[in-house]
Amino acid sequence: MQDLVYACPGTIEEAIAAMAAGDARALAGGTDLIPQLREGRRRAARIVDLKRIPELTTIAAMPDGSIAIGAAANATAVSRHAAIAAVYPAVAESARLIGGVQIQNRASLGGNICNAAPSADAVPALICHEARALIAGGKGRREVTVESLFHGPGRTALEPGEILVAILLPPPQPRSAAKYLRFTPRREMDIAIAGAGTWIRLDGNGAIAAARIVLASVAPTPIRAPSAEQRLMGERPTAALFEEAGRLAAADARPISDTRGSADYRRSLVAVLTARALADCCRQLKVEVAAP
Amino acid sequence: MKTLVTCRVNGEERVVLADTRDTLLELLRDRLGLTGTKEGCGNGNCGTCTVLMDGAPVNACLVLALETPGRDILTIEGLSGGAALHPIQQALVDHGGTQCGFCTPGIVLSAKALLDANPRPTEADIRHAIAGNLCRCTGYGKIVEAIAAVAAATRGA
Amino acid sequence: MATESIRAAAQRPLQVVGKRAPRVDARERVTGEAVYPADLALPGLVHAKLLRSPHAHARIRRIDTSRAEALAGVLAVVTAADFPELPVGTTIPMGEVGYDMWMVAQINMARDKVHWVGQPVAGVAAVDAHVAEAALALIEVDYEPLPAVLDIAAAMAPDAPVLHEHVFTKGVEPRPRTASNVCSRTVIARGDAARALAEAPATARASVRVDTAHQGYLEPQVVVAQVDANGFATVWASTQGQFTTELMIARMLGQPQSKLKVVPLEIGGGFGGKIAIHGEAVAVRLAQKCRRPVKLVLTREEVLQGGSGPAAGALIDIAVGADKDGRLVAIEGTYRMDAGGLPGLSPSLLMQASAALYQCPNLNLVGYDIVTNKPRTEAYRGPGGIQAAFAMEQAMDALAQRLDMDPLEFRKRNASVTGSTMPIGTPFPAIGLTTILERVGEHSCWRDPLPAGRYPRGRGLALGYWRGTSMTSAAHITIAGDGRPMVTMGAVDLSGTRTTMAQVVAEEFGLPLADVHIQTGDSKSVGYSDGAAGSRVARTTTAALVEACADALGQLRKRAAEKLQCAPADLDYARGRFHVRDASGPAITLAELMAATLTDGAVVGRGVSTKLPLGVEIGAHVCDVEVDTDTGLVTVLRYTAFQDVGLALNPAAVEGQMEGSVVQGLGWALMEGFDYGPDGRLRNASLLDYRMPTALDVPRIDCVIVETPVPGVPYGVRGVGEVPIVPPAAAVANAIARATGVRVRHMPMTPERVLRALRASGDGERP
Repeated sequence: MQDLVYACPGTIEEAIAAMAAGDARALAGGTDLIPQLREGRRRAARIVDLKRIPELTTIAAMPDGSIAIGAAANATAVSRHAAIAAVYPAVAESARLIGGVQIQNRASLGGNICNAAPSADAVPALICHEARALIAGGKGRREVTVESLFHGPGRTALEPGEILVAILLPPPQPRSAAKYLRFTPRREMDIAIAGAGTWIRLDGNGAIAAARIVLASVAPTPIRAPSAEQRLMGERPTAALFEEAGRLAAADARPISDTRGSADYRRSLVAVLTARALADCCRQLKVEVAAP
Repeated sequence: MKTLVTCRVNGEERVVLADTRDTLLELLRDRLGLTGTKEGCGNGNCGTCTVLMDGAPVNACLVLALETPGRDILTIEGLSGGAALHPIQQALVDHGGTQCGFCTPGIVLSAKALLDANPRPTEADIRHAIAGNLCRCTGYGKIVEAIAAVAAATRGA
Repeated sequence: MATESIRAAAQRPLQVVGKRAPRVDARERVTGEAVYPADLALPGLVHAKLLRSPHAHARIRRIDTSRAEALAGVLAVVTAADFPELPVGTTIPMGEVGYDMWMVAQINMARDKVHWVGQPVAGVAAVDAHVAEAALALIEVDYEPLPAVLDIAAAMAPDAPVLHEHVFTKGVEPRPRTASNVCSRTVIARGDAARALAEAPATARASVRVDTAHQGYLEPQVVVAQVDANGFATVWASTQGQFTTELMIARMLGQPQSKLKVVPLEIGGGFGGKIAIHGEAVAVRLAQKCRRPVKLVLTREEVLQGGSGPAAGALIDIAVGADKDGRLVAIEGTYRMDAGGLPGLSPSLLMQASAALYQCPNLNLVGYDIVTNKPRTEAYRGPGGIQAAFAMEQAMDALAQRLDMDPLEFRKRNASVTGSTMPIGTPFPAIGLTTILERVGEHSCWRDPLPAGRYPRGRGLALGYWRGTSMTSAAHITIAGDGRPMVTMGAVDLSGTRTTMAQVVAEEFGLPLADVHIQTGDSKSVGYSDGAAGSRVARTTTAALVEACADALGQLRKRAAEKLQCAPADLDYARGRFHVRDASGPAITLAELMAATLTDGAVVGRGVSTKLPLGVEIGAHVCDVEVDTDTGLVTVLRYTAFQDVGLALNPAAVEGQMEGSVVQGLGWALMEGFDYGPDGRLRNASLLDYRMPTALDVPRIDCVIVETPVPGVPYGVRGVGEVPIVPPAAAVANAIARATGVRVRHMPMTPERVLRALRASGDGERP
């Protein structure tokens, strides 16, 4: 492992200045970055620890119902935050999927996003909720959708010298629910072979007015399943509908075969997980799903 | 490169010369001579190196030494203050919850964090609390039994 | 924790043996004070690292270490040139057949050729690990890559590249003239199995593939080596056998054993993977070269990526046939075992194990040991047992189904009993398989109906057998000045034997357990003992200690007789006290005796056990599973392991061995397997992707201990630790078959493979 300089700024401005010094990586929980550095999978001469910056670690519920999650807040804190657990249970549950207890006490949503693994556990639920990312850098601040951040495995839209400051969850929409389900061979300490996050909003007649389906581990980045989403529009929830949506989502998926699973298997999982996640959204909304 | 690290370990302020690349695990074992915390994999996949940081279980191999100033670190050495074992330690002895012993320090600390936060854990809660601590010798049964016994004894007390 | 213990009538009521005593060494484990080799800090300690081959198969044309040697902070560099070249066939003594030392030398430092990714080609010692790492990058190795074979089928193909020009298939007549990757062919046969099978009214087959798996010890290999001013080396190792380690180091260095000793410290798991050395001799050579103590610690990635010996993968075909009454008439088996990059062992033991529990007049078992360009495989609890059972027990289960017989009834009808002919032709000594099967039938795990669940559920039964070995164990007992026994045992404590052996000594002396001090000796401070393996330590050390206790008590008796002025034969001994028989008068305690005779010299009782009659291990396991038929995920709902242990020296310790071993079996059954890429690199060389079960992945393992003592063996003890890993994969597979009607033939039975088998429904069978 190459030698490194460690910086621990107290403000965002200091952090940006430290990143600007070059060959730097931001450090939140370190659960991805530290093994990567030690194993030579990433290189950095400078580590910028973000955890002493209040805006990076606080989780704040706003009066309008939106929530700002500091990018370096740890997953345990996210999962236990009362507002997140109450209003965005899919986000809270997703935080509890990352690794295990020890990992969650350090890992952050910001790190999960910036590490940009296609299997990132926290991401699909965030995209389902149209979460936005607040970014700061030498040229100032900007806000983009979390969905737009992913360029490829390990690559995000962050420019050199930029840091992710916070993840913003918008105010919740009535009659909506989200769920993220992933498949792992072990109950914990595992990485998703495939994952499906679903979000639906029902209209006054109980039909699906809007739907978002986000798939993990089946493409170079988290992806939407547009054909599945379109199929759901205007329809009443039934098991047959959800199974069809699952099949369409599987067709939208672009998985590879690797040591964790074959492409075929991943597609099968997408179909199953999508259907099950949609069913769970209905359960949360106390809406009965007509049997096939 | 070399750097001075000031940290609080087992209730004591320690100042030690470390390498900027050191993890907390290396700081504990190699710089402070606290070898009770073991290394099983070095990349956060086994939990063998679990310590408590501000009361929360973390993998010491995933924390840089330089991140520790201002944090309260508890290692296995800091748990029992002398002749008397902590109830979790005693229970593992009594119930056969330790064989080769390599996972044991990490398990003890994960269990302590669980019981400190949740004195009435179900078996599922216990298994979840130690899911991040691999054990290859016991099959987990007697570890779970030991932790449950501590919880029951505390309730009864 | 449900445990029942059915004890055969004891000869005399036991006071300490048989009790659930807590481990005598538990305290230091729960406080973190137990010392493992990586914990050692010596003044001037330097750090070693090994350079490993990136190629699965290559010739080494040249190694240039000059740039590494010139790096500041590098103190020594070694290659094969620093070790004497051992001729092929060099062995060290171990048991009856010895251990192939030429192979051990290759495993520790490749010479001229590499046969797997990760095989060491050089070693460095430097002031710290970072410098050592940098030095490795400066060593230039000129490889000539060669075509590699990565699986059994490829290795056996007629035009396969041959790994070793000196290997000709043993056991084939006439002796082949061309070298082969098939190192040996072993046949165990009786009767005419082919004909009996062809004529059998009911037959079943199972053809399985088993992936290589790892023993999964949490403590990677580690060694500290120090050479003193006189050239005497002390080696602190994580080892299952200090004497074997010493022999291997001495042989690899070409030095006499008297110039070195091996001190076994605590070992963080071994399970068969720490019998052979993996870096110890290299560490000593580095220490000799740089005149500093050397610590070599393998990373987890190294352990998995060729730095240790995993458990053999296999391709096994079984065919079984029975008459219309369900009596077995034929067992045919072909066992192809993947030895990795160097010849392995004869598969004889695993072949025998798979068939031993069945009375069957016609057997034809053929086994092959095959090399491939992967790490040389080593032992793992009952080596080959679980792989063979995965095939055999599925075939037996399928045969029972074909006969429309309850699987337990089928086993009872065909069970071997005391006196039955074993596969190698000798009669079974006392065994309790029938007792075990009766207990299974009476137990709630068998009688309780399987509650319905969301997904299909099924119950599976599988048997397991392992023979184990005896070999040599030594121990001695000295008596402290306060009269208490101080035990030094030769075999490494791998399974809690310090505790159980202390219990034996306490029992023999009639003293409380707390009065016995026990330690493991190093290779110069106690009599030669073979390594902790083959389920042998508790049994053989018990025998050695019974002898040592008698020896010590005999010496004490003579001293007591002198003090009490009588003949030794006039004394009775009980509970730490000699008293003159038939008199209410003179008596002397051990404490008083030692206080009075301390300066007369030491009392040292010695004992050794060699070739103790075997106490074979037999188990039967019952497993309930639920199969998510949409994802292939298998959940183990309930698991009960029945085992005959002869006599449970310590039921808690026995349960611990059973539970741990079962969970290892469940891991290999469902989630553990090596995935090699086409370049021979392991693609899952981390504990993220090499999946070992977490506490959430397995249920409680219930244990039922049966005791059929081994005749002629002190306390009638059997081996315990190996057989529990043998049945689990088959028990799970049989449960899956009962739940879904589908047999899964590829181990581990990952969710993907289960789903594929469910979808193919029948395609998975090979004729």
